[in-house]
Amino acid sequence: MANYLAQFQTIKNSCDHIIIAVEDVSDLWPTVKSGFEERLPFKTACLNNKTRNAVFVEKLPAEFILTTDSRLRSRSPQEQSLFWFREPYATVVLVTCEDLDEFKTILKPRLKLIVQNEEREWFIVFVSKAHPGNDQATKMAKKVYAKLEVDFSSKRRERCCKLDTHGPEPNFWEDLESRIMESVRNTLDRRIQFYEDEIRKLSEQRFMPIWNFCNFFFLKESLAFMFEMANLHEDALREYDELELCYLETANMPGNRRDFGGVDRGDDQATLLNPGNKPLTQIVQDDSFREFEFRQYLFACQSKLLFKLNRPFEVASRGYSFIISFSKVLAIHENMLPFCMREIWVITACLDLVKATTSHYNDGLVAPDIEKEFYRLQGDLYSLCRVKFMRLAYLIGYGTHMERSPVNSASLSMLPWPKPASWPTVPPDASSEVLEKEKTILQATPRAKHFGIQRKPLPLEPSVLLREANRRRASLSAGNMFEIFDGSDAMSRMSPHKTSTVTMSRTNSSPGNFESSIDRPMRLAEIYVAAEHALQHTISDADLWKCLSSVNEFEKKFLELSKGAADNYHRSWWKRHGVVLDGEIAAVSFQHGNFDLAAKSYEKVCALYAGEGWQDLLADVLPNLAECQKILNDQAGYLSSCVRLLSLDKGLFLMKERQAFQAEVVRLAHSEMENPVPLDVSSLITFSGNPGPPLELCDGDPGKLSVTLWSGFPDEITLDSLSLTLMATFNADEGAKALKSSASIALKPGRNSITLALPPQQPGSYVLGVLTGQIGQLRFRSHSFSKGGPADTDDFMSFEKPTKPILKVFKPRALVDLSAAVSSALLINEFQWVGIIVRPINYSLKGAVLHIDTGPGLKIEESRVIEMENYANVAAETALDMARTDGSPKDSPVENFEQLSSQDGSIEFPDWANDATSILWIPICAITDELSRGSYSVTPQRQSIVDGMRTIALKLEFGASHNQIFERTIAVHFSDPFHVSTRVADKCNDGTLLLQVILQSQVKAELTIYDAWLDLQDGFIHGGPGDGRPTIGFFRLVISPISRAAILFSICLSKTISKDEAKELRPESILNIKYGISGDRTVGAHQPVAVESTQHEGARQDLIFKSALVLQRPVLDPFLAVGFLPLSSNGLRVGQLVTMMWRIERLKQFEENEDHQHNDEVLYEINANFENWMIAGRKRGHVSLSTKQGSRIVISILCVPLMAGYVRPPQLGLPNVDEANISCNPPGPHLVCVLPPPLSSSFCIPA
Amino acid sequence: MIVCVAVVGHQNNPLYIQSFTEADDALKLHHIVHCSLDVIDERVNNPRKSGPMLNETFLGLLYPTENYKVYGYLTNTKVKFILVTTDLDVRDADVRNFFRRFHAAYVDAVSNPFHVPGKKITSRTFAERVSNIVKSFGFSSG
Repeated sequence: MANYLAQFQTIKNSCDHIIIAVEDVSDLWPTVKSGFEERLPFKTACLNNKTRNAVFVEKLPAEFILTTDSRLRSRSPQEQSLFWFREPYATVVLVTCEDLDEFKTILKPRLKLIVQNEEREWFIVFVSKAHPGNDQATKMAKKVYAKLEVDFSSKRRERCCKLDTHGPEPNFWEDLESRIMESVRNTLDRRIQFYEDEIRKLSEQRFMPIWNFCNFFFLKESLAFMFEMANLHEDALREYDELELCYLETANMPGNRRDFGGVDRGDDQATLLNPGNKPLTQIVQDDSFREFEFRQYLFACQSKLLFKLNRPFEVASRGYSFIISFSKVLAIHENMLPFCMREIWVITACLDLVKATTSHYNDGLVAPDIEKEFYRLQGDLYSLCRVKFMRLAYLIGYGTHMERSPVNSASLSMLPWPKPASWPTVPPDASSEVLEKEKTILQATPRAKHFGIQRKPLPLEPSVLLREANRRRASLSAGNMFEIFDGSDAMSRMSPHKTSTVTMSRTNSSPGNFESSIDRPMRLAEIYVAAEHALQHTISDADLWKCLSSVNEFEKKFLELSKGAADNYHRSWWKRHGVVLDGEIAAVSFQHGNFDLAAKSYEKVCALYAGEGWQDLLADVLPNLAECQKILNDQAGYLSSCVRLLSLDKGLFLMKERQAFQAEVVRLAHSEMENPVPLDVSSLITFSGNPGPPLELCDGDPGKLSVTLWSGFPDEITLDSLSLTLMATFNADEGAKALKSSASIALKPGRNSITLALPPQQPGSYVLGVLTGQIGQLRFRSHSFSKGGPADTDDFMSFEKPTKPILKVFKPRALVDLSAAVSSALLINEFQWVGIIVRPINYSLKGAVLHIDTGPGLKIEESRVIEMENYANVAAETALDMARTDGSPKDSPVENFEQLSSQDGSIEFPDWANDATSILWIPICAITDELSRGSYSVTPQRQSIVDGMRTIALKLEFGASHNQIFERTIAVHFSDPFHVSTRVADKCNDGTLLLQVILQSQVKAELTIYDAWLDLQDGFIHGGPGDGRPTIGFFRLVISPISRAAILFSICLSKTISKDEAKELRPESILNIKYGISGDRTVGAHQPVAVESTQHEGARQDLIFKSALVLQRPVLDPFLAVGFLPLSSNGLRVGQLVTMMWRIERLKQFEENEDHQHNDEVLYEINANFENWMIAGRKRGHVSLSTKQGSRIVISILCVPLMAGYVRPPQLGLPNVDEANISCNPPGPHLVCVLPPPLSSSFCIPA
Repeated sequence: MIVCVAVVGHQNNPLYIQSFTEADDALKLHHIVHCSLDVIDERVNNPRKSGPMLNETFLGLLYPTENYKVYGYLTNTKVKFILVTTDLDVRDADVRNFFRRFHAAYVDAVSNPFHVPGKKITSRTFAERVSNIVKSFGFSSG
């Protein structure tokens, strides 16, 4: 059947629609043709697909052809069966008849003859020419049509329809279409069935020798083509898929020794989308087809159908896999193909595919994920094309213009060299080209990386090209292998400039030796030239060759491909691929001096790598970015890049390189920048608090915070200033506080410990916040916290805030306590040691200063030293005293005792008192001018305790910088040693009075009285001989603490007072007591502080206590007596009148008060509580009383008691008479009993 | 030949990357591993597409390139293992087996109390073990 391939091809090209035959019995076609053809293509059609499922097809193309047409008539029966798919799918029989007889006799037999062919699907169209006005004709036409229907239609199938040429026949066209569709469907079903049967039959012979793929292909493609004609593209595609599978099985069968193909001119261009590129007749071989062309043909057919199905995505997806798999196939046959045919084919295939799919692709019509996938595939295609293109460019010597980046290395170094049967040789007339290449090789210098970074360049080649090419040639010629493998050539490839002399000398020595190059290994330039020529020979596409013709063209194409890949990847899921390719574009932009674009793209790449922590890759790109930024004078960016370079893993750069980075930073910071540049150095300088518990400070205390800084700089770096913020952990509104260190700090590489002064902080706990500082004009900032180890290399994840507080400032609390050591009274007017207990409360009093401000009435003895000792000492002593009973001596702590001197009332504490409780003894004298006053024992006069109270204001300044101040006023109680009270013990007949002086000790100390004497006031003299002192023998009189003693003095009234003598009138007597005191200052009063140091210690120090006593002369006798007369015995009742009576009697003759005018009259007054008593009569008045002794009078007053109970009765007073002269009976207030009122019964009526 | 194995953390950060080539070209393998994360991301983010693969740790072939193959494996903690091999006909079973052993080695390595999760694996024992697994690749089950 291979012979019919050409015909098949023509048929396929000429006929792409189904055919409907028209049997024009009555020569009607010219009149109805236009009407029929207006219906084409059919708008909707319902056909059955291969699985007999109904499929609606839109716009089914078709053609009406008369059966008399030459196209149908000329076909031989064999042709018909071979190309059955092009035979008519329906036959329309056009008839007309106006007479029944004619119908019966002529038309019917003829029709029967036409429709007897069972193979055909036919139906009859009856055309009525009757005019609507002509009833006769119309009726006749109807009759004939009815007859026609009876004869040809059956119940199962309507085969007739009627067209009125003159009348409207709206249903006709619908009928016609449905008839046609029915016929087409039936025909199609039958033909599918037929082809399937045939195919099955052939398939069964698959493994038999008679199997012929061409026959199979013929049938299969016929079927596929038929589906395609019927617009059943889905089914057509399936047929092609099956055909491909079957072909691959056949092609891969062992022992299959067929030509592969692909050696024709133009085969290097892929024909993935053009099935008609090469006639099948050219590729047929025995019973099958050449693989190279046929597989492309199949793919082209498939893609055509897919495009018709509007599935460009699938074309791309299938296309990519096809290219990959076909590329492998090409690799197998590579030794038979032209040089680099495989690479060129892939390039053209990818480009074609990209172009076709993009033009067929409509945005937004597919699901988003399909869209993403589509762009990914586009990116893949571009990327694949790009790699192959680079490979070709490398072979002709453009390798020096390629970036040796990881992406290029990954794709090129793992891509094997082409494996031609023999490596191309240098054409004989190419010596000038070789020289040219040689020159370019020599001129090309690898671009030095910024910062002098030395890296071994990544390979772009799977193995050294020089060796590979020569090996391939040597395998043919068995040339001298020594020279090939001596390695110097390999070296010269890697670094051409180093071995330039060798190459040059060679060139010079043998300029015309290229022809005989088969005998010696080719040089690199020769390889390039040879490859260039070979490629020129292989590449048939002028455009592609132009892209390789010069470096500029290469770069243009390279950029186009890279951009295509990157853009498409960016629109897909594969962002990383896209960004990496951006880096490639950046490299080209950089080479072309387009630094702005380059920097932007490099930044994207760096962000990608940095974001995910791929430091090795970042280290490769970042220097490029830095260089761009430097050229663009983007100082901030450049600095930031340098810092990022420094903060990369230390192993990624040499020490020298890292030092170069730092040098750049320092140079920029100090010289060039005009404005300060902020910079984040979080990854380079990290900091942490010292391990261990946080620094604890009391409120208001300054401190020193020690912080560990890790410097990632390779060398020492000087920071001009540094500040560190502290953040309160539980107090968000509190702003961060910065600790500043203005002095410049030199940071060593690695760990540094710095100390910052810490001003007083609010209470709370603090963590480290942000580190900021300045290097020259560079303001840096670090947020990073190292966790006690060296800065982590992959710290993009370690930005966790440390929760460990570095500083705790406590809430205000008592840090120290000052209190008086003793609470008992001290001696007044004497220098006494006042003890002040200084008790630090978990706080050091280092350098504390105490200011003492004595209140009024106190005096500090400035000349005396102040003593200070451990309070524990004092306590221990007391404890020791107490412990003596149980006899176990206690450990006494270290004793400290020091004498201090005060300056202007302030005292500095010694160091030993920093933490221990100590006691400070200050000599103080409470001064009072008042003389102590004795009291009379009958009316004891209580001395107020406030009188002896004195206050001392204390102010203690302590803390690191005397910032803590503690103020307290303590009260100290002073008193006289004795309280003196007197009473007249006895009154002798001779007028001598015995005055008892009672001494009450008021201090907690033993008092010893050595002497006592009384300086009497005027009007009194000592009784008896002498000065009235008690007998000396009574002394010494010892008075225990808080006990009493008494001394008797005998005195008498002096009769005469000479007024002349009484110049110094003494209104009061003075009691003088000479005494001594022995007490402990820790307990209370004690021996006064010796004021003068000259006084020797052993001498008894007598103290004098003076107390004033007022002695009163005895009172005169009363001269009036008032007596309250007894009340009636039946008692008092409320509301009952009672008469109160007083009797006044003159006891003495009233003679001394001469000045009284009415001395026989006495003024009286009744005093009563008016709530209790109602008084009737005069409450105040004069009564006459004779001045004679013994005269008496009774005053009676009528009263009514108002309240029941014991109440005070009204009293009689005599206002004009001194109380001392009245003798009362009863002498004091008294009470009377008042009964409640009697029950009143006057209103009670007896029953 | 396996040319590279890598462990990539769940933030796509490299935790361990070891190449087994003689040439000094580890960087290109870094690139391959890094770019293959695109494929893993795509599969993980498109559960509909991966469909039944969802519950499986072995992600299969990531990259159908001409010259090398990249296989992926995703642990439950979203740590990725990536294998780059230049063998072009590798049996899936071999790769599965490789990843199973590699996973075991990884689990042992990160169970070390001194290992900080999310940081690079610096254990020398792990490196040795990985190198053994790599050496025995293809032989153990084949």
